[in-house]
Amino acid sequence: MYAIAPRDPATQSQGVVAGYAQTAQRWPGQPLVPRPAAAAALAGPAALTRRLAAGRGDLAGHGAKRAIGQLMHLRTRVVDEDGAPVAGAVVEIWHCNAAGKYIHVNDNHDAPADPNFYGAARLITGDSGLVELRTIKPAAYPVPDTGGWWRPPHVHFSVWGRVWLSRLVTQMFFPGDPLNEHDAILNAVRDAEARSRCIARMVPTRQDHLLFEHQIVVRGRKASATLP
Amino acid sequence: MSHLTPTAEMTLGPFFPLEFAAGANDLTVVEGRRAEGEVIEIAGRVVQLDGKPLDNLVLEIWQADAAGRYDNPEFFGWGRAATDAQGGFSFRTIKPGRNEGRAPHINFLLLYSGLMRQLQTVMFFSEENDPVLSAVPAARRERLIARKKGNRYVFDIRLRGEGETPFFDD
Repeated sequence: MYAIAPRDPATQSQGVVAGYAQTAQRWPGQPLVPRPAAAAALAGPAALTRRLAAGRGDLAGHGAKRAIGQLMHLRTRVVDEDGAPVAGAVVEIWHCNAAGKYIHVNDNHDAPADPNFYGAARLITGDSGLVELRTIKPAAYPVPDTGGWWRPPHVHFSVWGRVWLSRLVTQMFFPGDPLNEHDAILNAVRDAEARSRCIARMVPTRQDHLLFEHQIVVRGRKASATLP
Repeated sequence: MSHLTPTAEMTLGPFFPLEFAAGANDLTVVEGRRAEGEVIEIAGRVVQLDGKPLDNLVLEIWQADAAGRYDNPEFFGWGRAATDAQGGFSFRTIKPGRNEGRAPHINFLLLYSGLMRQLQTVMFFSEENDPVLSAVPAARRERLIARKKGNRYVFDIRLRGEGETPFFDD
């Protein structure tokens, strides 16, 4: 049996964030309604790969087709709250290019596209919960249409855990970037340790790429055997 | 026993790849085979506080099959759609059945730029006895009941403001 426990709000993003105007247009004004436990929440789409096909784990390319930017390997592990690897999980990853431009048609930022970079990958975790992506390091860019701030380099993740309530969409940041401490999105998480867990670890290497490791924890754990 | 804190949710951002959002809003066909049950369409529009429709907002649904089961290998009860520039979305699916004391319903999850965490809500087909619907203050329940128009159910979502959609915390 699998269980989902309430989270500590300090470890999660606040709904309305000072300096990020759209949040006050979009986060509900009424309190969220506590939902009675329901069977659906503890079930989940089994074998989601039947609907979402996995692609290649290489966005960087080679030779004349090589994307511009610092080559990077990103090794991400998906685990649950017990630390148990979540195998067979669908992981969607997207990020901007080395000039701060996304492949998305809605990105009006005046930065060059890179014809050799397509910044989206869908991968499936292996038995140890790992997905590995060869890509280039994304750049910082100014937040569109807010007159706001510069986003630090980051990578978007969309992850499925074992059940419906394990669904997680988050972002990964890079260690030591001076923009991290000014980012309204990272700092919407009040707990400093929870923020630090959103920052990848750089592994020193003498190979041809930067190496980053990251762990993502999805909700859920084995239910205690000693329930009252 | 060790316990890890779940990673903080963060906003989807405005640039969720279109290829990820597309192609998963028809739940009636699984691997070339038509699922059993009544085919319905669910359509709606998503707006924010000032009434502006939201473009490229992602909605995911999770529902039981026509018999109220979540574990039917012949019916994949998960789907995803993104809104267009007018805030509109649609799903083609099978009308879910009754399950363990629950009225027929469809679970919704919303992801968007400026939405710092996912929002969960539930669409019902009619006002009837259901523990989740009953958890919502009575005056707000009608926002969770889809309006029927032929075989189409209209489920409009307002994130914030007067008459906003009730959202759940689990």
